[in-house]
Amino acid sequence: MLWLWIALGVLAILVVLVVVGYNRLVRLRNEADTGWANIEVQLQRRGDLIPNLVEAVRGYAAHERGVFEEVTKARAALQQAGSPAAAGEANELVSAALGRLFAVAEAYPELRASENFLRLQDELTDTEDKISAARRYYNTTVMHYNTGIQSLPWVLVARPLGFREREFFSAEGDTGVPQVAFPSQT
Amino acid sequence: MTLQQQIRRNRLRSSIVVVGFVVLLGVVAGLIGAVLDLRLGVVALIGAGLYAIYAIISSRRIVARMTGAQELAPEQLRPLRRLVENVSIAAGLPVTPEVRIVDDPAPNAFAAGIRPQTSYLGVTTGLLRVMPKRELEAVLGHEISHVRNRDTYLMTMATIFAGVIALIADIGFRMLLYGGGRSRRGGGAIVIALAVVGLLLAPYAALLLKLSLSRRREFLADAGSAELLNDPEAMALALRRLQLDTTTVAYADASVAHLWVESPTSRVESERRGVLALSSLFDTHPPLEQRIAALEESGGFRLPERLPSDEPFAVELGLT
Repeated sequence: MLWLWIALGVLAILVVLVVVGYNRLVRLRNEADTGWANIEVQLQRRGDLIPNLVEAVRGYAAHERGVFEEVTKARAALQQAGSPAAAGEANELVSAALGRLFAVAEAYPELRASENFLRLQDELTDTEDKISAARRYYNTTVMHYNTGIQSLPWVLVARPLGFREREFFSAEGDTGVPQVAFPSQT
Repeated sequence: MTLQQQIRRNRLRSSIVVVGFVVLLGVVAGLIGAVLDLRLGVVALIGAGLYAIYAIISSRRIVARMTGAQELAPEQLRPLRRLVENVSIAAGLPVTPEVRIVDDPAPNAFAAGIRPQTSYLGVTTGLLRVMPKRELEAVLGHEISHVRNRDTYLMTMATIFAGVIALIADIGFRMLLYGGGRSRRGGGAIVIALAVVGLLLAPYAALLLKLSLSRRREFLADAGSAELLNDPEAMALALRRLQLDTTTVAYADASVAHLWVESPTSRVESERRGVLALSSLFDTHPPLEQRIAALEESGGFRLPERLPSDEPFAVELGLT
């Protein structure tokens, strides 16, 4: 009789542990999803700004066709990128292309004085900062999520339960996961 | 400790604080009831409850008034607002908190609000005039960490309850002293003496409970800022700059001291008090030196002797 009660108790504890652990994985996955959504918002904004910028520059420097093409191609690649890692790479190409476009713009004083151009340049710089902020958050959430499903005992059942590892959005040549220890006591 | 653990732990602590204060409140009301009049004790309890609810509802407004934080025209604040946006995106906050300006020469900042959705940051004009962009961002990261870790929630609750207990205990104490025999119930001299001591000590117990919570939050927010920006040195530099600055906030109200990034009052107070051991017990913030050391240790760097002399953010804002 006693053994039955002990067995039941152990079973109850196991059930609680499984429920808590499963919910934790779901939460971590949702956080990673939110993090990715944050990046997509900024990538979308960047993609929307680029055609306007190209038009603004074309008005003053119509013959710099090579740069326009490069920017347009990079933007298309970014919009077609199917995975975080691919998007990260494409995003880097967009940054490089935009850098060249701005360098070209330097040679046109009227363009640099154009209010429209200045505003677009400002917005794009801001978007770039925001992408990098969103990337830090996303990569942190992915790290926690991946660690969660790679640790025992979840590594054994995570795949059948539908938990797949996520890719980092690695721009700027790093995985961008800062390592800071919390001091535990005052 | 992961962030989610930290947030859940803070929520749990908030509940414990609420329970702790309710117990303390019960003791105070019980003392009043036992020594003066049972009905008075009940009235005090109900009054305290109503006051606490009112304070929780209107805490946003009260904090703004006590710190003198002003809303500025959106155009004027655009670059600052952008910095806050970037930091809150990095923190994964659902909404970007508002920014308000405190017109004060002392460099300091605070976060207030019960939920992340309704939180706002206060920044003094002094901070904008002293800090370069990189360090200002670190300070904003510190405040955003407070919002994300639910420190603002925890501390708002603690502040309100500490205030309520101080108020009730004070009223009870005065009634005990000046109320005379009219309302005093029977009971021996020992009971009355106990009540006097209890009513005198209750506010300090509440204050200590509140302060012990506030100090360890600061290390976590510093670490949070370092993590958000991936730049522990910026936070340490900002703290060093605050340390070198000797102005204290003119509006500094002791009841909102824990909200600021650097204690707005402690220096003056500990000088006045001149008792070191006691002052560290009653400080809202750990010493800046300790906070810098913690960042240096976890970030693996040493602060340079001289601070970078980049142009302060106020220049970019066009603030004169």
